[in-house]
Amino acid sequence: MHKLIGMVATTVDIFNNLWSVFSTLGVIVGIVVISYMVYLIVRNRARGGAPEPEDSPKPGELPRERKGAKKLLLSVFLSASIVISLILLTFIALDNLDRPPADAMEVKVVAFQWGWKFYYPNGYEAVGELRIPRGTAVKFYVTSQDVFHNMGIIDLRFKIDAIPGKTNIGWTRVYQAGVYEIRCFELCGDGHGVMIGRLIAMEPEEFNSWYSSLQAS
Amino acid sequence: MESHILPPGSTVKRWLLTTNHKDVGILYLVTSLYFLVVGGALALLFRLQLAGPNLNVLSPSAFNQAVTVHGLIMVLFVISPLAFALANYIVPLQIGARDLAFPRLNALSYWLYLFGGVLVVISFFQQRTLDVGWTLYQPLSSAFSPYVGVNTGGLGLALLVASVTVSTVNFVVTIFRSRAKGLRLTALPMFTMCILLTVLMMLYAFPALLAGIIILASDRILGTVYFSSPEGGAILWDHIFWFFGHPEVYIVLFPALGVIADVLVTFSRRPLFARRIIIAAMVIVAGLSFLVWGHHMFLTGMHPDVRRAFTVTTIAISLPFDAIILSFIYTLVKSRIELKTPMLFALGSIAIFIIGGITGVFLGSIALDYVLRGTYFVVAHFHYTMAGGGLVGLVAGVYYWYPKMTGKMFNEKLGRLQFILTIIGFNMLYFPLFLSWEMPRRVPIYPENLIPLQQVATVGGFILGASFLVMFWNLLYSLKYGQPAGDNPWGAYTLEWMTKSPPPPHNFDGTPAFINGQLSFIAANGAAHGEPETHLSVWPFMLSLASFLSLLGLTTNLLFTLVGLGLLAFSVLGLAGERFISREEKIGERWPFESVDRMKLAWWTFIASEVMLFGVVLSAYVYVRTTSATWPAPGTFFDIAHGAVNTFILLTSSLTVVLALASARIGSRAGTAGFLAATLALGVAFLFNKYNEWSELFGHGITFSTNLPASTFFLTTGIHGAHVFAGLLAITYLLSRALRGAYAREGHETLEYFGYYWHFVDIVWVFIFPLFYLV
Repeated sequence: MHKLIGMVATTVDIFNNLWSVFSTLGVIVGIVVISYMVYLIVRNRARGGAPEPEDSPKPGELPRERKGAKKLLLSVFLSASIVISLILLTFIALDNLDRPPADAMEVKVVAFQWGWKFYYPNGYEAVGELRIPRGTAVKFYVTSQDVFHNMGIIDLRFKIDAIPGKTNIGWTRVYQAGVYEIRCFELCGDGHGVMIGRLIAMEPEEFNSWYSSLQAS
Repeated sequence: MESHILPPGSTVKRWLLTTNHKDVGILYLVTSLYFLVVGGALALLFRLQLAGPNLNVLSPSAFNQAVTVHGLIMVLFVISPLAFALANYIVPLQIGARDLAFPRLNALSYWLYLFGGVLVVISFFQQRTLDVGWTLYQPLSSAFSPYVGVNTGGLGLALLVASVTVSTVNFVVTIFRSRAKGLRLTALPMFTMCILLTVLMMLYAFPALLAGIIILASDRILGTVYFSSPEGGAILWDHIFWFFGHPEVYIVLFPALGVIADVLVTFSRRPLFARRIIIAAMVIVAGLSFLVWGHHMFLTGMHPDVRRAFTVTTIAISLPFDAIILSFIYTLVKSRIELKTPMLFALGSIAIFIIGGITGVFLGSIALDYVLRGTYFVVAHFHYTMAGGGLVGLVAGVYYWYPKMTGKMFNEKLGRLQFILTIIGFNMLYFPLFLSWEMPRRVPIYPENLIPLQQVATVGGFILGASFLVMFWNLLYSLKYGQPAGDNPWGAYTLEWMTKSPPPPHNFDGTPAFINGQLSFIAANGAAHGEPETHLSVWPFMLSLASFLSLLGLTTNLLFTLVGLGLLAFSVLGLAGERFISREEKIGERWPFESVDRMKLAWWTFIASEVMLFGVVLSAYVYVRTTSATWPAPGTFFDIAHGAVNTFILLTSSLTVVLALASARIGSRAGTAGFLAATLALGVAFLFNKYNEWSELFGHGITFSTNLPASTFFLTTGIHGAHVFAGLLAITYLLSRALRGAYAREGHETLEYFGYYWHFVDIVWVFIFPLFYLV
């Protein structure tokens, strides 16, 4: 929808596009293959007096070879072409994910047991709650001060590991003002389940007045 | 005849002492099903917690313990051991062997497995057991987890790895050396083929886990800083763990694929479709499985090109699986399908695995994995593959071979009932988890919109649990009341059906051989002549008990450790001195190891796993070294002179071992003993010099926890020193026998095998010396 009104892609768009391709193909392939199998079972189910197949293995034999390489290779070739196109689509999506927009606001995130600390460009530090202007991309520099965490904002289709001693970079962009949940997606101890923060996307004007009031204080 | 060889099955003695592969298989089967109940009960506990969005069935800590131990038990103590229960019983029968190549080692594998599991269970009673996820991420499970129960559980895993290593060596040697004449490697029944590929993967994957556990235990117990330092830390563990962890996925899956392939042929009455391509595809998967581990680390900030490479390998590995699964399905074309219980489970397992495989492609795509990582989608995916493909496939095997193992037919109606319950329960349990893909895994509370999905899953979990109760009832009931099954109730073609049900201790009357592709039994059974083979030994049990006590003492009372070590020495000597007869058949198919006898092959296999162990330990060192910004210059931290002297000593000792062997070959008793004594002296000198070096370092206040250079040095040279020490114990034993005239007359192979080990330990030092002292 954002694209319709001429906006830049978000992490949500990138994920949703790819997801719809994968899930459509996945469901089709799954249904076709499993149905074919069920069809074969129903069709070939032994009924009273059905004759034994001619090449049925006899006790004490070595395994018989049964031809079918051509049919199989054809099937695998078909899967290969699907799989290769999926890899290419993934790489295109990845290129977009790896390239944070140039206008991004930069925020440093430090995960800890069990919460989130955010450092704004002006040095302001907030715990548990991050305010951003909607429409502007945010670039996160994520690390951890204790154990391995993972910072995920599932509604924004955004996720990145928070690892002690290492800083990872990720970005997202929100068009819709509102509150988004930030959760930990890597088991990090007893408080893992309640390691929840808030991302608040504000109207740009509101954000600006809030942000400048911080600088003033 | 049987009563002369083995005590009756009703006696404790039989089950404690048996080394017969069929008995050990039954022990594995019962034990793995017991752990299935344990792991399943834990799962039901946290499914109860998840029956509502905000319940208090389990505390957060108890919840984490339940999910962690559930995962570890199911993967390591249930699925693989259940596969090896079947492998133990069936592989020797399928290849026409009388037993595994090393019956006592086989019993040892079992007891180590059991005692490893006991340690894990004990850890529950030490306030807290492992609560850090089955992936044991760092530094959560080192610096941030002070609980002693975690140590005990970890040591239980170490015993399990020991068990796996021993059984890997055993199966490699057995399948290569004990095949019936005419049974080429490419003609192996698919189950045995899959077990072979499984143990080859185990051979390279489990030493990585062992190295990881050793480093972790050292961090936790000795205070080294591998995982608490930012240079090593989380990422180092990820690499080590997933280098093991991804092949492990195929390790639990492959035996089930083998079961399914054999069952499909039997119940569809047609040969396997494109059998050779399936085998080729499996070989490709086994190889490729070591090149995909990075997809578990897509979000750790790895280099973009590396991520791309892992995406390609990960998605590419789905192609050989395509070939395997499609061939299974094409096998059904123009067939005559009998839907007996084993076939139902095999077909059900394929259908479930297809869903698991397709969703695996989703996770291989980095851009999707970015979002799906750490969610219930992943949980659903790996249960569809490991529980659906793995466990359900193995259940097919349990039913398929039950008549062979017991001589009784199970109840078909109950079997079908279990199948229906399994399929319904399984899909009710796991499919909603795909749909819960926005929810983080390992979290005891969730938003209200997920209540219906999570509740359906909980109900499904209990149905799945009930399905296994039906199976247990069926297996027990039929043991007593089942109809006699006959030798070959399914009309199958593979060799295990060409003998009685259950088979006699020696498996076949006569030696099976495939002459011109047709089975015949050669009357002159090599085993019938000479001293009868041995089927009982107390030492596997004693050795395992000793190892158990030694490890238990580390986290409870060191008295146990002292008793354990004493018992260990006693048992090793007992094992070495025992007269245990197990012969290789005179004829057999042994390509490509016709000229490598089984002891030699066993040593080479064992050393291959040791290569991996040291490879991972040294890689960990190189990793922290290269990621570390500061590292002391050569010669400033460690004294090069100590290293150089030790290099000289060890290389000389390699020479003396060669000379001892040469002396034995020409029959010189004095030369053999003399050169062994010289080797012993050199080894002692090496350790003495090492002791001085360590003392000097300690004197300067440099200890395990000083910094990474110290930690890596102490641990790497420590592991190496322990290998030297073990070697010295062996030399002492060899020397004591050489002084009484052994080896010079006969049996000089023993010295040769020891030589392999000793040279290997020396070669490792040749890597350690420059890496630690010179660069």
